Amino acid sequence: MDFLAEGFRRAWGLLVTGDSEVYGIALLTLKVAVVATAISCAAGLPLGYFLATRAFWGRRAALTIVNTALAFPTVVVGLLLYGLLSRRGPLGGIGWLYTWQAIVVGDILLALPIAAALSAAAIQGVDPRIRRTAETLGAGSWRTAWTVAREARFALAAVITAAFGQVVAEIGAAMIVGGNIRGSTRTLTTAVALYTAQGDFGLALALGLVLLMLALVVNIALQVLQGRGHA
Amino acid sequence: MLELRGVRQRYEGRVVLDLEQFTVPRTATVAVVGHNGAGKSTLLRLLALLEAPTEGQAFLNGTAVPRRPSASLRRRVTLVEQRPVLFRGTVRANLEYGLRVRDTGQAAANGIIADVVERLGLQPLLSRRRHELSDGEVQRVAVARALALRTDVLLLDEPASSADRAAAGALYRALAAERAARPFAVCIASHQLEDAYRWTDDIRALADGRLSPVTPENLFRVELPVGDGVKSVRVGSIEIVVMTDRAGPAVVAVPPTDIFVSREPLPSSARNVFKGRVTGMAIEHRGAGVHVRADMAGVELVAAVTAEAARDLALTPGGPVVFSFKATAVQVF
Repeated sequence: MDFLAEGFRRAWGLLVTGDSEVYGIALLTLKVAVVATAISCAAGLPLGYFLATRAFWGRRAALTIVNTALAFPTVVVGLLLYGLLSRRGPLGGIGWLYTWQAIVVGDILLALPIAAALSAAAIQGVDPRIRRTAETLGAGSWRTAWTVAREARFALAAVITAAFGQVVAEIGAAMIVGGNIRGSTRTLTTAVALYTAQGDFGLALALGLVLLMLALVVNIALQVLQGRGHA
Repeated sequence: MLELRGVRQRYEGRVVLDLEQFTVPRTATVAVVGHNGAGKSTLLRLLALLEAPTEGQAFLNGTAVPRRPSASLRRRVTLVEQRPVLFRGTVRANLEYGLRVRDTGQAAANGIIADVVERLGLQPLLSRRRHELSDGEVQRVAVARALALRTDVLLLDEPASSADRAAAGALYRALAAERAARPFAVCIASHQLEDAYRWTDDIRALADGRLSPVTPENLFRVELPVGDGVKSVRVGSIEIVVMTDRAGPAVVAVPPTDIFVSREPLPSSARNVFKGRVTGMAIEHRGAGVHVRADMAGVELVAAVTAEAARDLALTPGGPVVFSFKATAVQVF
């Protein structure tokens, strides 16, 4: 028990004194998560809308693939991306291996199926009359999509939250393609894993608490963005 | 002019609409009547260019409509669905929606909205949201939202289904006033024959996805027994005697002009004699005929008589009436 209490005491100390390593790691994690969430949602939400509203050949197969990709193991994504980005890989020339950009790419691959599959489900949950009404009132495809999305805004906000949650908590890909390099690609999750293994429980706990707070702050921000619950 | 040619619409392999030709002429008022499931709503969605027919082609002013029509083409037609929905936001925001889509200036939009609000009495509702409205109010707002767009063709699917009779009358009067100010085509799907006769000048019947060759009143889906000649079929709580060799599921129709109307049963050759009460009378939109609706033990029948005959018989809503028709007058499809 002493060891746990000591861990919490040290964590608190690191947080209130503004330990530069802790905050550096937190900032990098936030940067990676925000960029990856933004890109995966910018692509995944329209993809989900498309899958939910357009009848085309192979639609069912596409939905199945996206839903399967939801359960893709993060280390496998990391491994595949490592193969692509390593010096001998086809994308080795861009030199992204062990950079924060590589972590972003891995996170996008993991969050994109979440954004697409869950937003497709959210859009399918909207009364089909909303879309027909927008169309018959003369809306073009973009405005129709916007009108339908507005009706599903709570579900879509949950989609963004889920994508962010996946990205911020992800460790497998970040470890493999990021390399957990101090001061450059060490994220909260990879750092927690490392410091726990090294026996620095207090530092690991401090970083874990930061991770929780980060998730809390982002969720609160999303809720504020959604506005009040007017119909 | 809006037209469908050789249209066949299938859902999951089942043909729900099969029309050689269906035209809504410029500035005409057309009513489409028929049972639930007769294909009325499908027809209106095709006319609204919201769906492309599985087979066949839609034409707008003689030009073939592509399978995915542009927004500018769709803006010539608008549909108010049977159970319309409002978007999130106030009633005013809903009324503005289609005008914003069309980039109508704020001043012009305000003028148009003031017009439709006045016509449909929506002033007290303007700042309300959809959950604060009754079904009838939602329907009125939806009609106003469509009217504000000043389309060439307005399609209304059961526009008075959620309204009481007075509200329905107000709605149709608003439509008539709008049409007097600016001629446009209207196509109404309705099961209220009374409304169809009063407010439109062209009535077409749909039965099982096809245009029915007879006037649309007194259409019943029945199960014909096996056998030749005269047989009796059950329609609700009454039995109608028909003359046919057909058997199995069918639609029977009793043309209103073939029904004798009297106050007491008359000795005659008619095999079908029903006593009931008058539930409504409507003067035809054109001509001197009167449509007498009567409740015959729970089944509504409509008979057409001349205005003089209606006066001589002193028919009044709620009063007793007898309808008689011959077995051979009943048409079988």
